[in-house]
Amino acid sequence: MILGNLSEIQLDALRETGSIGAGHAATALSQLVGHGIEIEVPTLDVVEIGQVPLVFGGPETLVGAVYLRLLGDLGGSMLFVAPRSSSLALVDLMRNRPVGTAKSFGADEEALVTHVAQILVSAYLAAVGRLADLNILPSKPSFALDMAGAILEAVTTEIGMLAETAVLQRTRFFDDETSVDAYLFFLPDPDSLEVLLGRLGVV
Amino acid sequence: MGASGSCRAAAVAVGMPHMGEGTVLVGVGEIAVAEHPQVLVTQALGSCVGLVLWDPIRRAGGMAHIMLPAHADTAMVGHRFRFATSAVPALVDMLADAGSPKRRLVAKIAGGAAMFGADAGSASIGARNAAQTRLELHDLGIPLRAEDTGGGHARTIELHMDTGILLVRSYVFGLREI
Repeated sequence: MILGNLSEIQLDALRETGSIGAGHAATALSQLVGHGIEIEVPTLDVVEIGQVPLVFGGPETLVGAVYLRLLGDLGGSMLFVAPRSSSLALVDLMRNRPVGTAKSFGADEEALVTHVAQILVSAYLAAVGRLADLNILPSKPSFALDMAGAILEAVTTEIGMLAETAVLQRTRFFDDETSVDAYLFFLPDPDSLEVLLGRLGVV
Repeated sequence: MGASGSCRAAAVAVGMPHMGEGTVLVGVGEIAVAEHPQVLVTQALGSCVGLVLWDPIRRAGGMAHIMLPAHADTAMVGHRFRFATSAVPALVDMLADAGSPKRRLVAKIAGGAAMFGADAGSASIGARNAAQTRLELHDLGIPLRAEDTGGGHARTIELHMDTGILLVRSYVFGLREI
């Protein structure tokens, strides 16, 4: 399937699915940190593989990231990305401390950010799965603190073997004090995208 | 020595990367050639491998940002420099056309990391990228002089044409020269 050839109706269906998934994820995150978290309307982009490392801005931006593969009826990847300061802000919110308390990443901080990402992803996938009547499970999450470009590249290399472009659905989570600024990426594998569109009735 | 020393100081002073005049930025899945005083740079190598070929006589060289070891079964006509199997010979040809024959070239590679540790699905791609690049160099008879590959961290590399020094920058190790 050529991803660049998605019709307007198909793109709309994917956008709508993403909005519902993101809405559930934002609710889960708000409950988790006990603090209102808002979302921007998710964007859906069809990106040339070589350009994917640039979607987060500078390729060398230091970010905390959690990567999960999708298992079950849908193959693909979910990636949680937040700039280093924002990842640390999430840690502080989870510990119920003032933002700015956590200064550096240790095993505990990594575990907390991974935990947050896992809950976001689970909420997102549950909503998408219900909508499309698919059973989608997340794999064990992996954490990395490094350059945004290298992280996005690692996540898309496998798609690069099969396709020229990747469908990238991006949701921004943020709060009023702008201490949290995080992104969730949903990257369905090319074959699975077809399955998803079929289940949504827009093939 | 003086030249490499001042380059290092400049790179540290402006942080990442040093994007002065004469910096040739190589994107993902791209190849490029340049000569002194230009500097070849590619950013944020994760599982990708950065290959540099340097010609000490002309003080010129080339760089490839390799994303995958080899083509999958599907016919990939466009963007073939994404793959080690086609990017390495293409870079050698490009340098030969520019006046640097294969027999003068020496190679260095960096990257090929497993960004999400050994248990993530894509963990082996970095190692396979590095292995395929080494194999291509071996087949072409180009000596591999140095490498900084593997691990779990991202790298940005800069090739300085006057010395052939490859600067490898990462958040984990800071600045390394190979």
